[in-house]
Amino acid sequence: MLSYVSRRLLYTVILLLIVSLTIFFIFDWIPVDPARLICTKQCSPALVEANRHRLGLDVSVLEQWWRFLVGLFQGRTFGGDGIGVTCAAPALGYSFSRHECVTTIVAQAFPITFSLALGAFILWLSVGVSLGVLSARKKGKFADRAASVFVLVGTSLPTFISGILVVLFIVLKFNLVNPLELGDWHSPFVDPMGWLRTFFFPCATLALAYAATYTRFTRSNVIETSSEDFIRTARAKGLSEKVILRKHTLRAALAPIVTIAGLDFAGLLGGAIITEGIFGLNGLGKLSIKAVTQTYDLPIIVATTLIASAFVLIMNLIVDIAYAFIDPRVRTE
Amino acid sequence: MSVMKITARRLVATTSVAALAASVLLVGGINTANAATAKPVTGGTLYYYTHNEQFPNLDPTRIYTGRDIAFFGSYTTRTLVSYNPVAGPDGASLIPDMATNTGVPSNKAKTWTYTLRPGISWEDGKPVTCADVKYGWSRAFATEVYVEGPTYAIAWLDIPKASDGSSAYKGPYKKTGQALFDKAVTCSKDNRTITFNLARTVPDFNYFMTYPAAGPVPQAKDTGDKYDLHPVSNGPYMIKKYAINDEMVLVRNPNWKKSSDPFRTPYPDDIVVKFGMDEDVRDQIDMEDQIPNGINMDNLQPANVTAFFADPKNKNRRMNNYDPYTSFLAANNSAGHLDCLDVRKAVFFAYDNQSLINLSGGLVYYGEMGDNPVKPVIGIDYAKTTGNIHDANFKIDGNPDYAKTILEKAKTSCPDAYDRATNPDKGLVYYRADTATNKKAAVLVESALQKAGIVIKTVYKPAGTYNANLETYKNETDFLSSGWGADWANASTVIPELWGEGCCNYTKNKKTPEYAGFIKKVNLALVELDRKKQAKMWQELSQYGMDQYWYIRTVFGKSQQTWGSKIGGVYYWYPQGSFGFGQLYVKQ
Repeated sequence: MLSYVSRRLLYTVILLLIVSLTIFFIFDWIPVDPARLICTKQCSPALVEANRHRLGLDVSVLEQWWRFLVGLFQGRTFGGDGIGVTCAAPALGYSFSRHECVTTIVAQAFPITFSLALGAFILWLSVGVSLGVLSARKKGKFADRAASVFVLVGTSLPTFISGILVVLFIVLKFNLVNPLELGDWHSPFVDPMGWLRTFFFPCATLALAYAATYTRFTRSNVIETSSEDFIRTARAKGLSEKVILRKHTLRAALAPIVTIAGLDFAGLLGGAIITEGIFGLNGLGKLSIKAVTQTYDLPIIVATTLIASAFVLIMNLIVDIAYAFIDPRVRTE
Repeated sequence: MSVMKITARRLVATTSVAALAASVLLVGGINTANAATAKPVTGGTLYYYTHNEQFPNLDPTRIYTGRDIAFFGSYTTRTLVSYNPVAGPDGASLIPDMATNTGVPSNKAKTWTYTLRPGISWEDGKPVTCADVKYGWSRAFATEVYVEGPTYAIAWLDIPKASDGSSAYKGPYKKTGQALFDKAVTCSKDNRTITFNLARTVPDFNYFMTYPAAGPVPQAKDTGDKYDLHPVSNGPYMIKKYAINDEMVLVRNPNWKKSSDPFRTPYPDDIVVKFGMDEDVRDQIDMEDQIPNGINMDNLQPANVTAFFADPKNKNRRMNNYDPYTSFLAANNSAGHLDCLDVRKAVFFAYDNQSLINLSGGLVYYGEMGDNPVKPVIGIDYAKTTGNIHDANFKIDGNPDYAKTILEKAKTSCPDAYDRATNPDKGLVYYRADTATNKKAAVLVESALQKAGIVIKTVYKPAGTYNANLETYKNETDFLSSGWGADWANASTVIPELWGEGCCNYTKNKKTPEYAGFIKKVNLALVELDRKKQAKMWQELSQYGMDQYWYIRTVFGKSQQTWGSKIGGVYYWYPQGSFGFGQLYVKQ
């Protein structure tokens, strides 16, 4: 197992290197000149060149990438003219639009994205799996039909609609949160009630679509597993339905759900762009979308993309390992 | 097409204008201020909220938008000279701020002198000195650090140029050429009087002194790039917190003295700016008055602005004014493009401006047809031109029949251009940013011009990179839209920039026979010391360019401001195209 994990970690590092290099090349390829973008309106060619040098874009793409890699281990000084800014290792870069080391920016944004993703994850798993199991066990009855309605609503409402509806017609309409406090960050360890106040609705919004999908997925998995031979055997052995469900059906039915849940969670750790935008949460999603669409801030784009990639790759690994523990069939194989 | 949308970045990168009475009159019937007559109240917290995630800049050397000059100038960043903080035309007049007067010119306005008032302090209690002002000016030369702000210091100070055209002085960090700068800007022995020696006559030099970039920075506190996060205050408030994407909190500066500041009236105890608010949430706050002591720093979305203004219960919570910007559609006058006056005229008269303006929000809220690159808010440099939109044949929704008659002339006066404009296999090329609104606008323009027999080939370019590529596009397309706001109340910051040797001449007019005479007059106007005579020269130059149809259309843009019911002292500060921030207070 150890060698398997080591090998997977090595692949992860190689993939991240490729991803980062690709981003540098894409950034170089797009038809926009960041050096001109933030230049004064009386921008002269000399000013553009000075800015290009400041941004570190006056060298080849490969050299930019190499400087980035070196900065990860040694730290780096950015800017020129005798008054540069130094970022300590691991230096992901320096954002000239935010005047801050990217490592610091990401470190501030990550807890917000993480708590949003985790809160939503807990909600959608609890609601989705519970409803899915209930729906499967009460197949064709009222509970099943009610769950189907929930699935229909949840999957057909995109987050940018459900988010706006929640914020305008629930949060603001009933003064549940002061509009000026929307998006404020309260650490759940320091101010749990503050966190709950500002994060419950974003988490619920984000969880809605996922919960609907998971309800349907769990339902079909449970129904499918219930008809398998080993369940019939368990029933023939005289086990109660509760024990069969808990010990046999769910363990088999939930294995694929764990895979998807892990990847969904990992995907959200890269930032939930729409939810963060609507609720004013300053997470990685909002950070990256601004860097991509407005400021063309390469260091932030590289950092947020690498983080998102790293989470997906690492979560893939974790899921593969967890899979073996959950599903006895996998362990046997 | 939404010209303002297309040109957003350009507009943001420009700054504001001063205004005079004409502006108020031209926006007739539009509310320009709420009742500022009640007695102001001290105390409370004043909130601002915005969809933007940060101020573009806080560093005085970098600030370059009228709204931000007004905001920081009112609260944290005093300058040597300011605009009068009052409503109406008087707001455009200069008043001494940190200086004892608005500047003493000599040597044909090549030398300007200012003396600091006594008793002005930084937030740490240290006095503001001439050396601080001199240091503030020097930072503009550090072009590897500061590229966002105005470059007038580099253009005007009597410092030689290096072989590559840049200044021989490289700023206070490298110190290359420091002696040259020390000769151009000098301080008196008592460190209170500063003298600027300019390379040429600059009659409106004192207007630039309203810019934070022309103000002081304490060398000991300069942190270079990071100074943009926490500049030191010399105004009535100082920055307690500035978190991008979160909020800015301003609190009272204990070292600010009313005795040294004749006009600032810091009423609120605290000022909080909330960043990154969703646009729908922001508009909902306004519609429902959910933050009575709050002010929207943005415009409402077009879908909401009509409803908000139509509701009489909001009548004391909104105003609609000319913004500082003129949108324009420049014609490419170079050979092989729109190098024929008759074709340009034909396009002008065939254009359906009404539909385009309706598409962007209508005449009331988006903007009115302009007759000039110089906007009325600039004051005496604006004069109603003749011809163009005042021509009897002009119809706001297009006059294809008249356009056809002009095209007929073009058939003989410039057959090549006529062929390009009317041949379905050729056509005139129109680069647009690839947006949904622009696609609708393109259909309107193409069909309107088609009625006159003019063929338009629309080419869509990536929206996100459109503005950054204008310099390239201007050589390829026949039309280019953008916008402009003057830097101050003088067309010297408009006509030379848009039609002359300045940064943003998209007309490609420099090789036309008309240009040599035009630019000669521009250069004369730039150094004319008699303000009335200079204004007359700008008016004539505007007329000249409009007669050449260098611009196919101009639109005088408007903007709307909204605020909560507990906000008092609201007025529109024309010089900066923004609220008069310094007089706002919270009703108790």
